[in-house]
Amino acid sequence: MSPDPAQPILRFQSARLGFDRPVLGPLTLELPIGSRWALTGPNGIGKSLLLKALTGQARVHHGRLELAPQARISLLAQDHPRRQPWPLSGHDWFRAMGAQPPEQARVRALMDRRLDRLSGGQWQLLRLAAALSSHATRPPAERLVLLDEPANHLDAEVRHDAIELITSLPGGTTLLMTSHDDDFLQAAGVERHPLTEYIHAG
Amino acid sequence: MLGDLLLMPFVAGLLITGVLGLAGAGLFLRGSVWQALALGQWAAVGGVLASVLHWPVLLVALILGTGVMALLQRSTDRERLPLGVFLAGLAAVTLLAANFSQASLAAAAWAEGQLYFAGPNELWAVAMLAVASILLAPGLYRVWRHAQLAPDVPATRPPTAWLRLTEIGWLVAAVVLGSMVLGVPAALATLLLPAWGAAYLAHNLRGLFLWTQGIALAGFLVAWGLSLSLDQPFAPVLVLVNAALASGARLAASGYRERNR
Repeated sequence: MSPDPAQPILRFQSARLGFDRPVLGPLTLELPIGSRWALTGPNGIGKSLLLKALTGQARVHHGRLELAPQARISLLAQDHPRRQPWPLSGHDWFRAMGAQPPEQARVRALMDRRLDRLSGGQWQLLRLAAALSSHATRPPAERLVLLDEPANHLDAEVRHDAIELITSLPGGTTLLMTSHDDDFLQAAGVERHPLTEYIHAG
Repeated sequence: MLGDLLLMPFVAGLLITGVLGLAGAGLFLRGSVWQALALGQWAAVGGVLASVLHWPVLLVALILGTGVMALLQRSTDRERLPLGVFLAGLAAVTLLAANFSQASLAAAAWAEGQLYFAGPNELWAVAMLAVASILLAPGLYRVWRHAQLAPDVPATRPPTAWLRLTEIGWLVAAVVLGSMVLGVPAALATLLLPAWGAAYLAHNLRGLFLWTQGIALAGFLVAWGLSLSLDQPFAPVLVLVNAALASGARLAASGYRERNR
């Protein structure tokens, strides 16, 4: 059965989120299928925590989190430190993410390189491309892509490629990201939503 | 060099080297080298304890090894806890050896290795583990590849809990049997050093597994030839050969990169 676009792909209802104890909430938020949102707000407000709660890396202590049953979630974490040495290639990374490399030349050029020998910007671009195309064989309406500060570490050389990857996501794919980089958000064509608007008293 | 008496130890040693090489690449990818140290030492505790109680060595070593692995898996501490468990195992072997004469002999055998005395039982056990390793390799590979992703999350399903448990059980069997056949230091040297050297030479994951096997098997063959021709114990020779090969691999990779800058 195909998902109903009118239904949200996720819904927080008076949810309190945290790791060992609740530190964010109560939060009520609905994300429609196919929407492209950026959660904004100052550092430490809980944007990354919200994304981690969606992948099960953080807990919902009170209230509810409802995910559409068909939702397939991929996450680009804020940072991914690389071990030294780390003998993985770009192809290995894409296989592990269940992703097909995009046509983009700059990403293709990284596929045979070792991950521990890429620059910070190249590594971020490769991870972003893999997160955006993870399980891309599923219908777009089933896919929820979470990007935590994707503009981090991007130098001028790869920034444009990163924006191009985000804007070329198939229609119907839901995107939820965090970023402090207003220019990046504007270029990526996402709606800005301050997280504080979804946190309510008591 | 391969008389009838030595054929069985040679084949058993070659097979367990291949298994330990695979396990070593997996442990490298999991970042769990300290766990191997603790696991190998507690396999030795099991072997020494079995000699005191006159129980089957492999069974007791596997039970203690599984217990240690279960304990280590419950903690996120990947360094201090495994090191503490290793030291506790070292103390346990020393105390057993100090109080029971048969334990003293068994402790020496586990420390020095007893490859030349490997018989049909050891060969069968190693051969079965080698066959199981070949059958499980695709699943193990999937678990280790997936372990590289965190904190990123793929949209595909992660390996099942059953597959992850199988991987842990297989690792325990590999380390315990490897320690029993080669001795703890030689088994750990085969687990840790070839994968470390290979990590500098490989271009990708597949290369890591191939280079690890190549270095591990070359190390075994060189150590076998040297120890027999120089009339030296096998285990320490293997440790030194593997250390030399891994360091050589690292230096060769660094030199290659410098030249291609």
